[in-house]
Amino acid sequence: MSAADPLLVETVERLLANVCTFDEIEHAEPEGWSAATWTALADAGFPLVGIDEATGGSGGTIFDAAAILSAIGRFAAPVPVAETALTGGWLLARAGLALPDGPVTVVDDQSSITLVGDRLQFDTTVAWARHAERIAVLATANGSTTVVSLRSDQVTVTPGSNLAGEARDRVVCNLALRQAETNIVDITSSSLVERGALSRVVMAAGALGAVAQMTVDYTNQRHQFGKPVATFQAVQLHLITAAQSAVRAQMAADIAVRALAMGDASFEIAAARVIVDDAITLGTRAAHQAHGAMGVTREYPLHHFTRRLWAWRHEWGTTRDWRRRVGERSIAVGPDNLFAFAAD
Amino acid sequence: MIEFRPVELTSAERQLRTEVIEFLKAELPLGSFIPGLGMNAAIDREFSRKLGEHGYLGMALPTLYGGHDRSAVDRFIVVEQLLRWGAPVGHHWVADRQSGPVIAKFGTEAQKQRFLPDICSGELGFCIGMSEPDSGSDLASISSKATKDGNGWVLEGRKIWTTSAHEHDWIIVLCRTTRRDDVDDKRQGLSQLIVDLKAPGVQATPIPFIDGTADFCEVVFDNVFVPDDLVLGEIGQGWTQNTSELAYERGGPDRWLSSYLLLEELLRDEASAGTDVPTALLDLVGDAVANYWVLHHLSLSVARAIDQGGAPAIESSLVKEMGTRFEQDAVTAVLAYLDEAPNTSDRSTLGRLLITAALTQPSFTIRGGTNEVLRSVAAKGLRPSGVTR
Repeated sequence: MSAADPLLVETVERLLANVCTFDEIEHAEPEGWSAATWTALADAGFPLVGIDEATGGSGGTIFDAAAILSAIGRFAAPVPVAETALTGGWLLARAGLALPDGPVTVVDDQSSITLVGDRLQFDTTVAWARHAERIAVLATANGSTTVVSLRSDQVTVTPGSNLAGEARDRVVCNLALRQAETNIVDITSSSLVERGALSRVVMAAGALGAVAQMTVDYTNQRHQFGKPVATFQAVQLHLITAAQSAVRAQMAADIAVRALAMGDASFEIAAARVIVDDAITLGTRAAHQAHGAMGVTREYPLHHFTRRLWAWRHEWGTTRDWRRRVGERSIAVGPDNLFAFAAD
Repeated sequence: MIEFRPVELTSAERQLRTEVIEFLKAELPLGSFIPGLGMNAAIDREFSRKLGEHGYLGMALPTLYGGHDRSAVDRFIVVEQLLRWGAPVGHHWVADRQSGPVIAKFGTEAQKQRFLPDICSGELGFCIGMSEPDSGSDLASISSKATKDGNGWVLEGRKIWTTSAHEHDWIIVLCRTTRRDDVDDKRQGLSQLIVDLKAPGVQATPIPFIDGTADFCEVVFDNVFVPDDLVLGEIGQGWTQNTSELAYERGGPDRWLSSYLLLEELLRDEASAGTDVPTALLDLVGDAVANYWVLHHLSLSVARAIDQGGAPAIESSLVKEMGTRFEQDAVTAVLAYLDEAPNTSDRSTLGRLLITAALTQPSFTIRGGTNEVLRSVAAKGLRPSGVTR
């Protein structure tokens, strides 16, 4: 099994097309998320796809979970599905802690977390924190890792948002661990960060696909000099760039998801982040240029995607770090093995 | 719409890859030869013959004619390793990539028997007879013409940018067999002829290339008699056949691997220097390897689509357009990292490759269809959905 259930994909797309409309995304922004979209997805069990039923999830494969995240990107849906399915919820499930009915989020910046004795402290930006029922934290101390499931009343949350108006809140925690639900797990922080990075890769690939198609559609409708602007070679260059950005990102996402399904995906996820970051730069620039002034208005939906892409690229590690990780791994295999390593 | 499905290699395909790598290690051990840059690598008839003996040429051609009835993916696996190695593929490259497949597709039984076994054994070198002095991207405007004469055709005209025409054996010439004035569309009335480069009236003259090499040629056809049995496919169907031939030219590993060896040799040099790895090198390698990784998967996906009966013309144009630009970016990145003037007195492998790459890289985005033409081909595949959100 190396593909998502097509029926699942179709169902999620239909649901998002109905609920996560242009107006809904606009209205979601002051709140930092779309409650209506979350409720519709949660009622169908989608945010917990990819987590075993035995541990409170909805079942399904990593391919199913990725297909849902891709749709989240394609529809610019402002909901914490990645955090619930792939990172925060995954941590709770792996630790045998209860999964709540509502959204789960996670502290992504591992360097912000300190656990000294019994005291857990952090002060960092956390996605969707104000709407999350639980904040999952992976804390490392004395060589063992502990998953903590925090309630909102155990932290201080100050609202903030990313470039797309999605909740990215400042969360301050200073808590004695005995007051929280915890469990010791055998999970490395890098495996959590890789899953987080992969979630952004998959969502960004979905959004870039939508951007490329939207750009083709718009330039075929828009007439200047008596013909569709898509017929001008100078504009076609932008359409090609947007399409190439989308296919590069999608292939990177597909291969990285497959690698995770098979085990160690640390190289693939790092490489995918490098590709997707470049695709975001080139793809969004080309799409905006082809849209002209219409693309920079709030009334036209391009910004729902491009603003998200510009925000997501900075989450779960920096591109510079991921690029250097690819460089380190590639140099470590040695020149004789470089090609086999890169093109496997 | 555009589709790139990720490919999972079968265990037989992985096995083939291992065999090719073992073959290369045995036949062309590192340091025993001067590696080339992708398909521009040297002509070595002996090496081409060895490849033929090992069954690595004409892989997707029928066994009946000396081929191996294997797949486009199998051929991809073999050529990817050959190119990455810098192996001397110059003699058989065009014959194996496109002349063999078009003869298998459009040729007569007699032509298949005559040419395919010798292509599969690595004996024959073929040239591409498309571009002319006044017809490059606007290929249908060619003026080379053949006139019916008894049991054959008399060919007159000239072809240009023809790689190794002075070394190779045959050329497949696209020419006009019906006067332009007698057809409605310039794409009508064209035909393909298989022409013996040693035939009377054929004159191949090298055009010195930017790096001082002389593989590039102009070929003049002065009243060259081509017998009827060397007409490829149907008279008048040249445009369609030629378009199908171009599909073999695009989207393969030759379109993104041309400068790969610069990276590998750079790392070999840096490793022997034994110093700490500078962050600039991590950045360069991180970027390059991520790009090789994704281009490999995109390009492999085109090969699998061909095996599954698809016609990924749009996809292969997209891959070639971005792959060749990346080849240039990789050259630029290595030159920028080293930040010193290439000098011909440097006879190290990296030094030689750098000079060739620095000088020839503009051709990467021109040969086999300019990036401008590829974009207009690909743009035809970018269709509106009719639905906007």
